[in-house]
Amino acid sequence: MTSPAMALLLLSCATQEVEGLDLLPPAEQLKRLSLDLRGVMPTLEEVASIQQAPYLYEDFADRYLDDDRFLGQVRNLYDQRFLVRTGSDAGLGSSYDGDTVAAALADESLRLVSRIVDQDLPWTEVVLADYTMANPVLADVFELDYPSDASDWQPAHYVDGRPHAGVLSMSSIWYRYPSMGGNANRHRANAMSKMLLCEDYLTRPVVLNRAAVDQLVIDPEAAINENESCQSCHSTLDPLASHFFGFFVTDGEDADDMVFTEYMAEEEEGWRDYSGKSPGYYGVPTANLTELASQIADDSRFVDCAVRSFWEGITQRDYSDLDWSEVSDHRAAFEADGLLVKPLVKSIVMSEAYRADTPEDLDLAERLPGVKVVAPHQLANTVEQLTGYRWQFDGLDGLTTDTLGLPVLAGGTDGDTVTERSYEPSVGLVYVQERLAWSAAWHVVEHDLDSAREGDAILLHYVTVEDDPDNAARAFDTQIRKIYEAVRLSPLDPTADEPEQLIEVWKQVHSVEGSARSAWAAVLTAILRDPALITY
Amino acid sequence: MSFFDRYKTTRRALLQNTAAMSALTAMGWTPKDALAAQGERKFIFFFAGGAWDTTAVFDPHHESDYVDMDEDTYQETLGNVRFTAGANRDSVWRFFDRWGHSAAVVNGIDAHSVGHDSGTQLTLTGTSASSYPDWPTLIAARGAGDYPLPHLVFSGPNFSGTYGGSVVRAGGGTLLDLIDGSLVTASDQPAPQLTSVSDSIVDAFVHERVARYANAHNGVAGLDRNRVESLLASAERAMELEGRRFEAGLDDLGNSTLDQAIKAAEMIALGLSRTAMIRIPGGWDSHGDNDVQAPQFDAFFAVLDELMEKLAVTPGLATPWLIDEVTIVCMSEFGRTPLWNASGGKDHWPYNSALIAGSGVNGGTFGASDDGLVGLPIDFASGLEKDTGDLLGSENVGTAILSLAGIDPASHLPGVQVFDALLR
Repeated sequence: MTSPAMALLLLSCATQEVEGLDLLPPAEQLKRLSLDLRGVMPTLEEVASIQQAPYLYEDFADRYLDDDRFLGQVRNLYDQRFLVRTGSDAGLGSSYDGDTVAAALADESLRLVSRIVDQDLPWTEVVLADYTMANPVLADVFELDYPSDASDWQPAHYVDGRPHAGVLSMSSIWYRYPSMGGNANRHRANAMSKMLLCEDYLTRPVVLNRAAVDQLVIDPEAAINENESCQSCHSTLDPLASHFFGFFVTDGEDADDMVFTEYMAEEEEGWRDYSGKSPGYYGVPTANLTELASQIADDSRFVDCAVRSFWEGITQRDYSDLDWSEVSDHRAAFEADGLLVKPLVKSIVMSEAYRADTPEDLDLAERLPGVKVVAPHQLANTVEQLTGYRWQFDGLDGLTTDTLGLPVLAGGTDGDTVTERSYEPSVGLVYVQERLAWSAAWHVVEHDLDSAREGDAILLHYVTVEDDPDNAARAFDTQIRKIYEAVRLSPLDPTADEPEQLIEVWKQVHSVEGSARSAWAAVLTAILRDPALITY
Repeated sequence: MSFFDRYKTTRRALLQNTAAMSALTAMGWTPKDALAAQGERKFIFFFAGGAWDTTAVFDPHHESDYVDMDEDTYQETLGNVRFTAGANRDSVWRFFDRWGHSAAVVNGIDAHSVGHDSGTQLTLTGTSASSYPDWPTLIAARGAGDYPLPHLVFSGPNFSGTYGGSVVRAGGGTLLDLIDGSLVTASDQPAPQLTSVSDSIVDAFVHERVARYANAHNGVAGLDRNRVESLLASAERAMELEGRRFEAGLDDLGNSTLDQAIKAAEMIALGLSRTAMIRIPGGWDSHGDNDVQAPQFDAFFAVLDELMEKLAVTPGLATPWLIDEVTIVCMSEFGRTPLWNASGGKDHWPYNSALIAGSGVNGGTFGASDDGLVGLPIDFASGLEKDTGDLLGSENVGTAILSLAGIDPASHLPGVQVFDALLR
């Protein structure tokens, strides 16, 4: 635990390091920390403690990093890199329904990532793990070696003879990133490069000169092998691709059938028939998937990519060369601790840039936001935390599964057509917040204003269904202030006009609807639509 | 002055005033804002992600030994458009037969890339620089009209640049249920819908809070300015449509390409949106088998035909029919190699084609490619091949689209020559 004196000194030093950067007030720093590391807001008790002792920030960071919910946050964050939550069950037959299979497929790789974090394993385990991760659903779908009496996610093994190499040997990954035989697994090679090295061949500014064009017309394969423009990608892409022929794609019985990916050891050298390029990793010959994994684990870009992925995901920033120095500090922390994720993330959240308010420096303001916008799951979690309500449709979570498209409307991704989060609040997010707020508010009034209710109220502790502003003015005022405090994590100013205005809202809605429940639901909705719920 | 009174002074006071809101909702939408949209051209963009084979429809080269054309096809000319007709192309033929006079096919466009992502960006923004918005986003954001849902992305790519607040992702059809509020009744723990009058009372309060939040951040720069301004603008746009009930069975439409296209047309007809983006379905990246191209094109042209029909019979905002003020733009990130590969597929190719039809478009075939499917110099005024002409790039087509939208291309991409031949 950091001593108060040392912590204050560190904070003081930190604020002097970068000009034009002011830190957020302690309570807002804690809100940011909690939403990023746990996916929920801090409790009022936690806020009170950090306001009394701002030096406790680091202790909260340590505590949140050890919170189980951090593992869920890690999975959410790394899905932005792997893009595996597509909602597709890949047409795989199972005794489980399609949505359940889709969720299991998406989680195979993400569960490995969160296990690495949970068990304090080095990041290289992503490609070096000699096991996969499975739950009963995945074990059933892929016929894995998995304990018959188990029910949770745990290490398991494929029994089809494939070498295990972390995410590189997971069937779910190669269902997510298929590749036509004619393209010789190049799509898969680029997917691997994007996922693990943050290098997207398709973003390279390749200019085809006239010679390349002419050669492509006559003999495309020769052009790929000989032309400088083509070779700028294909010289390294094709040998990478040659590692993946064991994950063979087979067509169904007719044209409308799904395409299946099976591991077939006898197809490992299929590259001989397609590209003719023997497996290799950026000039180093490799014999198999295991050797590829070792090469990746030793590649500095693999480490850079992990640092960048966590840094971008947590800070809501897009990496640019201008950020090199800042990110290098986090990389150093990552390496110093043996490529453990928690020290990396701690380095990020302890930085003053992470805890900063809107920068005054105009250039810095273009790449460092002081206003962050919640992801769909954070909005869902926060509303549930406040009201106990979870928006579900046909048993599926509305804001974390994509069956209704709500995550995309709220600025999230679908892993397929929308692959980057939107950090600017849109009409879609406003509507999602509004309709979710109303649904949650109705849940609260149904519960809290039920005269036969058992147990504590969720939010409406100070009023009953019989009360009105004329006979219970003080209770109304107190009630509204308490709800605001829960949402904003700080009490309203004594002179704030929100209680008065919301009492007016209550009266007007009551006069229209003739119902105290509707009137309170309207008031609650209004508060749950506060910008504080979608920004942090 | 109460917050309700203060709120009445905002630019959308009419719609937010509870009484007015109630009356409007009861009567159905009579958008004053739609008036501001009058006279502006609207756009529906389609994008074939994966890269289409330009020879399959747009750029026939049956005479060339260096271009593999599909079997049982031939070159046809309808209107002023030359295209590949024949097997699996009934809808293609029908489209050009009916709409060829107002459809422009542009060939020989240098896509500058054979990478899917970079090609998509270059085709839709005219530049590889980040932070530039794509054509539909820019057109929506800089329109004179006040559109509640400026750029509606039903599916397909989006580069919002600094105009994220102008982009609304439709999310598979759920957007309409969010707008009319019916989604709250469909959840596993349903809530009743609040009446529109009460809803607007809450909206008025919320608007005040959001405006205060924005004011508290007044003067912030950079990313935060974009986010705060976007929040306020989005809140206002959302409230404008609050409780809207969509006629014409719009709520009942599904999420097929045609459904999305019809929804886009309706949104434009109602003055709610200026631009829309729709993905053209299909596995266009046909390395393994190029035979998929023609059926996919044909299915898409069937949609285009129905969309044009819809636009032709729907009253416009400023013209008798919507077809006179809506332009359809169909693009892909680049083309495919002239020759089949060993698998019968075609690989990535840097020369591309585009189809632009409808309002303001000069019908015909423009641009040119040689017998190896390489773009040739053209005269930008006529769009025809000319030895001393200029090579056509994605950015030239894009700036022509900006011109159609009434946006000065030089204000966005200075120095880029506009492909004037496209403009009627």
